[in-house]
Amino acid sequence: MDVGAGERSPAGDAMIEIRIHGRGGQGGVTLAKLIATSRFLQGLSVQAFGLYAAERSGAPIQAFCRYSEDPITNRNLIYEPDHVIVLDPTLVGKVIMAGLKAGGWILINSPQQPDELAEQFPRNRLATVDATTIARDNNLGTRSVPIVNTALAGAVARMLGFPLREVSAALEHLGFKGANLAAAARAYDEVRLLESPRDIGAAAEQATQSSMGRGPSLLEGAGAAMPAIKTGQWASEQPHRQQMIPPCNHICPAGNDVQGFLNALAHKETDKALEVLLRSTPFPSICGRACPAPCMESCNRIEIDGAVNVRQMERYAGDHGQVTIEPLAERDERVAIVGSGPAGLTAAYHLARFGYQVTVFESGPEIGGLLRSGIPEFRLPEKVVAHEIDRILSLGVAVETDHQIDRQTLLNLAREHDAVLVATGLQEQRDLRLGLDGTEAVVQGIDFLDHVHRESVRVDGEDVVVIGGGNTAMDAARSALRLGAESVRVVYRRTRNEMPAIAEEIDETIEEGVAIDYLTQPVALHDDPSDGIRRHYRLACRRMELGEPDESGRRSPVEIPDSDFELACHRVILALGQSPDVSVFPEGTEVREDNQLLGLLETPVFAVGDLATGDGTVAGAIGSGRRSATHIHNVLSGDHVNITEHAEALRDVDIWRDEVIRADAMKLHLFERQPVAEGESLAVAERRSTFDEVHMGLEDTAEASRCLSCGVCNECDYCATYCPEGVLKRVGHRLEFDYSYCKGCGVCVAECPRNVIFMSHL
Amino acid sequence: MNATAATNLHPDECLLRPGNTNCGGCGMSIGLTMLGRALAEAGDTCTLVIPACCGIVTAGAFPTTSYAVPTIATTFASSAAVASGVASIRDINNESGQVICWAGDGGTYDIGLGTLSAAAERNENIIYICYDNEIYGNTGGQRSSATPAGARTTTTPWGKSEGKKDIMSIMAAHRIPYAATMSVAHPEDFARKMSIALSMQGMRFLLLHSPCPTGWKSEPQDSVELVRLAVASGLFPVYEVYDGATYRINIEPDGTDPAEYFRRQRRFKDDEIDLDVTRRDCADRMQLLKALAALYPRTA
Amino acid sequence: MSVQVITGNHAAGYALSTAGEANRNARGTACGIYPITPQTEIVEYVAKFPFSKGRVVPVESEHSAMAVSMGASMSGARAFTASSANGLAYMAENIMVTGYYRLPIVMVGVNRTLGPPWNIWADQGDTLMLRDFAWLQFYCENNQEILDTTLLAFRLAEDRRILLPVMTCMDAFIVSHTQMETSLPEQAEVDRYLPDLDLPHRMHQREARTMGGLAWPHEGLSMRLEIDEAMKRVPAVYQECRESFKEVFGRDPGDMTQTFATDDADVVLVVSGTMATTAREVVRKRRAAGEKIGLVKLKMFRPYPEAALREACQSATKLAVLDRNYAAGAGGVFWQDTRAAFQGHRDDLLIQNYLTGLCGGDVTPAVIDDILADIAVREEAGDPVWMGIDTGEETLQ
Repeated sequence: MDVGAGERSPAGDAMIEIRIHGRGGQGGVTLAKLIATSRFLQGLSVQAFGLYAAERSGAPIQAFCRYSEDPITNRNLIYEPDHVIVLDPTLVGKVIMAGLKAGGWILINSPQQPDELAEQFPRNRLATVDATTIARDNNLGTRSVPIVNTALAGAVARMLGFPLREVSAALEHLGFKGANLAAAARAYDEVRLLESPRDIGAAAEQATQSSMGRGPSLLEGAGAAMPAIKTGQWASEQPHRQQMIPPCNHICPAGNDVQGFLNALAHKETDKALEVLLRSTPFPSICGRACPAPCMESCNRIEIDGAVNVRQMERYAGDHGQVTIEPLAERDERVAIVGSGPAGLTAAYHLARFGYQVTVFESGPEIGGLLRSGIPEFRLPEKVVAHEIDRILSLGVAVETDHQIDRQTLLNLAREHDAVLVATGLQEQRDLRLGLDGTEAVVQGIDFLDHVHRESVRVDGEDVVVIGGGNTAMDAARSALRLGAESVRVVYRRTRNEMPAIAEEIDETIEEGVAIDYLTQPVALHDDPSDGIRRHYRLACRRMELGEPDESGRRSPVEIPDSDFELACHRVILALGQSPDVSVFPEGTEVREDNQLLGLLETPVFAVGDLATGDGTVAGAIGSGRRSATHIHNVLSGDHVNITEHAEALRDVDIWRDEVIRADAMKLHLFERQPVAEGESLAVAERRSTFDEVHMGLEDTAEASRCLSCGVCNECDYCATYCPEGVLKRVGHRLEFDYSYCKGCGVCVAECPRNVIFMSHL
Repeated sequence: MNATAATNLHPDECLLRPGNTNCGGCGMSIGLTMLGRALAEAGDTCTLVIPACCGIVTAGAFPTTSYAVPTIATTFASSAAVASGVASIRDINNESGQVICWAGDGGTYDIGLGTLSAAAERNENIIYICYDNEIYGNTGGQRSSATPAGARTTTTPWGKSEGKKDIMSIMAAHRIPYAATMSVAHPEDFARKMSIALSMQGMRFLLLHSPCPTGWKSEPQDSVELVRLAVASGLFPVYEVYDGATYRINIEPDGTDPAEYFRRQRRFKDDEIDLDVTRRDCADRMQLLKALAALYPRTA
Repeated sequence: MSVQVITGNHAAGYALSTAGEANRNARGTACGIYPITPQTEIVEYVAKFPFSKGRVVPVESEHSAMAVSMGASMSGARAFTASSANGLAYMAENIMVTGYYRLPIVMVGVNRTLGPPWNIWADQGDTLMLRDFAWLQFYCENNQEILDTTLLAFRLAEDRRILLPVMTCMDAFIVSHTQMETSLPEQAEVDRYLPDLDLPHRMHQREARTMGGLAWPHEGLSMRLEIDEAMKRVPAVYQECRESFKEVFGRDPGDMTQTFATDDADVVLVVSGTMATTAREVVRKRRAAGEKIGLVKLKMFRPYPEAALREACQSATKLAVLDRNYAAGAGGVFWQDTRAAFQGHRDDLLIQNYLTGLCGGDVTPAVIDDILADIAVREEAGDPVWMGIDTGEETLQ
């Protein structure tokens, strides 16, 4: 007897029996119905049924299909199928083989080739088709539970030798349309068949028999055990923890673990926050006042309600944290550091922590460089600088002040030390040839600020013009106001957008009454007759407009013809930036960061900080100092300490992704809006008469809890809270996924606000 | 937020044990794990009384069980009455521990409503939690009176014509000590309300909006986000009523448009949802609740 | 012990209440109650009983009445309730669950006609429709018997070898509302008769156990087998409970099957409930006149006392089975099980069914005489005979 167009039972029986193994939601029963319908339409007698219990999405299910030319009288389950169909490759195992007749087909939904699976099934013919991909491509079912039945129906047709049109007819008969027909047709084409069994005589799996012993009594009162079902076997995907780089950490020139210290503050752990900062920077209180804070510009929270006030939080940690630091080892090698600005002192700090004998040589009377003289008291109080420098010195760093180094003495240092670091910063001040140069009418901003620091200048009643757009310009302008100026103007040749000064400082400068003339280029300074009290000048200026961007990416100012005008003034302060003085090195030395300058008596000599990078920020100098110190350590000790650009992640993570997490990868809607904490400032009216610090700092750590902790687990526990199975737990700092039970629903991924959990296909 | 303490129970001791056969992304499962945490936090225990619904199938096959607490399966309409018996014997024996009905919307809004109403009227000393997934999920997705307008179910194949029954108003009208709505998307609110309920006597009714990815035809991973949208858009108001007399709105909708909620569930079809009507209904309902909360505020 | 003139409902209420009170040193008692004529007086009696440790929950339906009692019973308390007719039909789902949960709840069923038509009078069809729900059933003929049997029912139901619920039944009004002298035991005697309930499968706090979850076919089969085994143990355990009843109360609550003049009887009447009293008097009189007739009263219907019935009818050639009930399409319920009891044992026995007293009809001595007259001339059994109505020609062809 011939059963349908194609296949005979491998045992030669008139009836074909097919058992389907799948998972709830995949459409196994419907597949049985489809196969049966395709045979029914060919005039055969058919049966299709499922094994109904508590079918849940993902739970293993069985369905059955019989067809025969004779009326079917068998009303039992199928124990010895002719063929089996496996809807989910994770079900492949002994159960699917139970009772399967030798030579029968096994069709598996799998991207693998039949050859790759053949060894497990020596007695049978084998077919595979990637029905999951076909279903997903055709939008059948959901992402986690694609409905694969119609694709498999197409594969069955090919496998059992029916024409595709017979399955298509069944699909249409049952009301399936477009995507399902396409899926069946594609599977018909793509199914891969391994026609001949390898070893028909191999041992068969026995059909399962249920035990006939008595079941447990309802009347027994004892507590019951957990179900033995390992629902992890249902999963097609599994969650994993990862860590990405927060943009603040990525951009911080000092290499601070910004997210790390904010997280500590968010947990009110101020000492720990300071400890995190001190891993990279010795100057949190200073940066917490004077850093331009690029971290805040890159903060993903801008997309919600404004950047986290990282600067103020760093200040808080620096001012309020209590951490005792000590050298981590003791070493004999001696290192000389030339220059005591932030780069030199940072290098001294890290080298001292490595255990080296460090001496800092400073040409002036006190160490600290521009930290002391370049940033006025109202922005960075002397005592803050002193405190942080003292912390460095407490590590045993020796200091030689009033010790000018030139080419010759540098050689001496090289002779006497195992390494030399040159961190002389930017000492050459840029000039603008306005005429009257060298007179008391024109003063360099740095020099002016130095005088301010020494309290050796007053500008009572003067109209002061400051030329420049950086922090020195702002500081000079604001200092002039405090020293009695009648008026202060800042003249800058581009717009506010291009000003390198910290935005907040520009705001405060304007607040205090300084006028800023943007797009204004000074061209000449003219002498006016003295009024008997002071000399008068006229600064000739020209209006500018923005042209094409230059190398720095900023749009270059272009002169507007016939736009000249004059500003009357008594004093002009030039704050146009500085450049390095490399005369201490041998002629032709190429100075760049971390460069070991050869030829100095075989002692490694390095250039560090602004001298090497021209960066001009304290944070940049700190980063350079830290990297150089590590570099020197590696050279002197033969160690291989990683010299990182960014803060090291110190968390316990499964997977590290060396990638910055941007706002679009964050689930920003899961965060509640919370306004930025700005903190209190001195009233504007008071500021003109005092050099007291303008900003009073934040009073608590609440602002830190605004940190989104982008890409880094901050133990918010939403994943564990929402895990429907309760099988995702945080144990200490680790997330533990119990994969034996995780059904792979993906809720933890969807609910992680910071993209710390991701799914991988099994 | 700190789920760690309670989730670090041995799997055996979790109220909902691993190995249960609930669908992936099941909102009821989330609710049960949250309930377990709330009880652990309060150092309390419970007997679960569960009518016919997914919640009892959750227990799994005899003699094993997915519930780490004593659990009684009742007939569909009977959970509040069986719980009344259990609580009576607990109380006359001066024993502690909660008797908690854990029922679906079918067993609450429909077949069990008479029983529930009677238990509420008697002010039985029980907690009744309805995990409302707006569908007869256990039988494969038929309409209940909790199914919202427009939703397709197997018995409303072209979308339900009628709106969702306002069970909260019904329960509040019994003047029971506590009636509150909760959402699995708001665990802090859930924890707070559970701790209130656990500290009270008498009938406490809690309505938990509980996503059903299988019935709602949504992605399992979207479960929490969907009910969050329902709260944010005002589709599911989160509020509480004390003694049927004083009101407090716990989470104000933030103006989110309900369209996204509908878009992410295949039980809704664009042409079967009247968004304008929905928006107006949400606004009206919130206006009413706000008026009640203003006139009869819960101040304590 | 005092003898008072009270109704059957009062007697039943007294039995339920004192039984509940007797558990006061254990986990107490609770029940759900709901009114329906003619059992209402029972729950009214229970509602005003001053339980030392108990709660009576007046619920909104019979369905919930049994549910409350189930909850109490699962918590280890002694639980009971009472109902009738459509109330039992409405309660049916939870009656079934109680049986399969093996909860030793005792329910008094006052047999009333299932409506429609609207009819409050006696008919056993209501409790008999519940015969397959793993409950024991006893049918009582007077106030004393309903009181005694209801007390015995607790002892039997709570026996660890049985652990099945028990229904004790009486005819509406004929027993329930009829004042008769009834001996009421003292509470102390009831206390002595009913030990503290210690239900082995009761719920314990903090114990992970689910009552009523899913079971696969084999586990379900095992549970049903256990019920069958418990049912088979009932006759022996009943006799123990009866003996100790005699000991405590000094009175015989009666056997499961009660025979009268069957020793050499040719014709035996098989009866239950109040018609047993009437029929017994008819038999007594006609025996005196020398007729070889006897009577078996089936007090216990579930489990069906097949062996005892066969033994009682050894000499008989004809059985007249009187049914105050009608299972549509199948005749009287007692008749069906009686036929089954003799099948393969006494195939020579003529077993004829008489439907009488349905829908509150009065089963008078004259009716019994008519039945005896009919069976006397009968040579073979026929369809059930509808007594008290002239069927005439069939009107619907």
